Amino acid sequence: MRVLVHIALRNLFQARRRTALLGSAIALVSASLILLLSIAHGIEDSLVTSATTLSAGHVNVGGFYKTTATDAAPLITDKAKLRQIVMDNVPGVEGIIERHRGWGKVLSPFGTIQSGLQGVDISTEKRFLERIQLAKESDYVEGGRDEVVGDPSKLAQPRTVMMFAANARKLGVRVGDEVTIQIELLGGATNTLDATLVAVARDVGMLSSFAVLLPTQDVLELYRIRPETTGALWVYLDDIDRAEAVRADLAKVFEAEGYRVMDHVAAPFFFKFDTVMGEDWTGQSIDLTTWEDEVSFLTWVLTAFNAVSWSLVTVLVGIIAVGIMNTLYTSVRERTREIGTMRAIGMTRWQVLGLVLLEAGLLGLGATALGTVAGAAIATGIDLLNLPVPILAVQAILLADTLHLKVVPSNLVAGVVALSTFTALAALWPAWQAASMRPVSAMSHIE
Amino acid sequence: MAIVQLQGVVKEYPLGKLVVSALRGIDMTIERGEFTVIAGPSGSGKTTLLNLIGCVDVATRGTVLVDGQDTGRLSDADLTRLRLHKLGFIFQSFNLINVLDVHQNVEFPLLLSGTLTPGERDKRVRSLIDRVGLTEQLIQRPAELSGGQRQRVAIARALVTNPAIVLADEPTANLDSGTGASIIELMKELNRTEGTTFIFSTHDHAVMSHARRIVKIRDGAVESE
Repeated sequence: MRVLVHIALRNLFQARRRTALLGSAIALVSASLILLLSIAHGIEDSLVTSATTLSAGHVNVGGFYKTTATDAAPLITDKAKLRQIVMDNVPGVEGIIERHRGWGKVLSPFGTIQSGLQGVDISTEKRFLERIQLAKESDYVEGGRDEVVGDPSKLAQPRTVMMFAANARKLGVRVGDEVTIQIELLGGATNTLDATLVAVARDVGMLSSFAVLLPTQDVLELYRIRPETTGALWVYLDDIDRAEAVRADLAKVFEAEGYRVMDHVAAPFFFKFDTVMGEDWTGQSIDLTTWEDEVSFLTWVLTAFNAVSWSLVTVLVGIIAVGIMNTLYTSVRERTREIGTMRAIGMTRWQVLGLVLLEAGLLGLGATALGTVAGAAIATGIDLLNLPVPILAVQAILLADTLHLKVVPSNLVAGVVALSTFTALAALWPAWQAASMRPVSAMSHIE
Repeated sequence: MAIVQLQGVVKEYPLGKLVVSALRGIDMTIERGEFTVIAGPSGSGKTTLLNLIGCVDVATRGTVLVDGQDTGRLSDADLTRLRLHKLGFIFQSFNLINVLDVHQNVEFPLLLSGTLTPGERDKRVRSLIDRVGLTEQLIQRPAELSGGQRQRVAIARALVTNPAIVLADEPTANLDSGTGASIIELMKELNRTEGTTFIFSTHDHAVMSHARRIVKIRDGAVESE
């Protein structure tokens, strides 16, 4: 084996220009793969962060309340009892918060938006406050100050509102301005409330366009509902990967406690209105979802990005495969006499096959390792630069207003293993050609 | 005791629609320890004959026995094993592995056979390199050696596994007469001291004068002995 490694390395060194060119191409593909994976993981990371901050807990205890068979409100009643059931039956709960769910118009003298309304108790929103960054005034007001103004903790006061930069821009408002919130009640009547804008946060992609936050008390007042009622309990676990198992367990627990539990549908609550309104029951039904269910309408972003990434990488890898085959085939042709001599001396077909594969494998291993390290370094560098994404459509896809890349160590190892294995596989055909040579023909080959 | 026996050996090559007969019914026996020259003009079939004895090719008809084994009945793997353990090759254009140095070239067949420990292997390689007078060139690569030195490396490589037979195809053809003579002298000495059977082809009369036995072939058949 030692001599085969030595011959393979020396051959690579001897054809160093060819080795450098092919190696660079393999390294480039490896770096591209790592960069694309890092962007995908960045999007996923942003998705998890924004989803579990703005749209859902890891597991959500929500539901619908129907006063008649044909209406539906996204409410759960007797929230204290539901919370207690969760606390009693779910290990590893890090926290539970309440979010009222509503939908309405937000009006200003300069514009109107339709948005989801979330009633929050800001004193319990530690996670939200940790993850949300306030926007500079210049981000949402033309000619605004290049500094952060506003304070989310003021949401503890009644008649206040917080929103994201994109919505503030559309409404043409700044911190301290008044907006009017208008909602429609079950019977079709409308109710309004004037509130002061106390904080504007930086956008976190598409989800932030549909989130306007109000104090819980204001939402109760707007919808004329009782304080023991809320929209959903957002349950945060010590391990997000347990979410689906916990959801399934909780469904059994609530059924055992006598609650009507809706069949699990992996969709956000606002996609379920038509279905629920078409069902012939009244009263309370519990709907248990995970954070992935609540943002399932956004996972297409990740799916589409992954599809484009993998298509691109597949094309690049295909080109590289042809390059490797061609290069090694040429190399085998050039070394026909040498291969014939080695066969005559006593090298078996398998050893010849192994030698060519080893050459390709070593080239692949070296180049992919180099490319992977370079890709990881570039990805980390870009992430650290916190580059702003100026285009709203791209922000929506990336689910963030800055370019976030996440390097996952297991991807690096998998990338090196997969691409160097692939390189060796691409060498199978020229290796087989070399191994199939008859020594007598190979030795009489004219170079 | 015969180490090589050929009976009615015919070798034909297809050439388009034609069939060219390179050997036309060769009968020959070579005894262990002989120093034999296969002589004949270019195109007479010398190299084809050596290829058959060297197990790098098989006869179209007839029997080739090498160390008692019928090469026509052996698989590719068996032929490879026979070449590795029983045969040594010296080629007209040396056929060294360019990316390996002198020591590594000589060591190569031992690494393939895997029969010796690293220490034994090194000792054997160094003793043979010393024997062919290339101790000073131990870590030089073929491109840094003269033609004569390269052929000496090839001789050391051919002998390193202690083969029963060494086949040399026109070993002096690419060397000047002085170097060629010293190479033949070296082979004769190794034949005498190691008892290795040497079979080499040539059409050089000066080289033939060193042989104990000369088999002349012409047009694929034995002309005289």
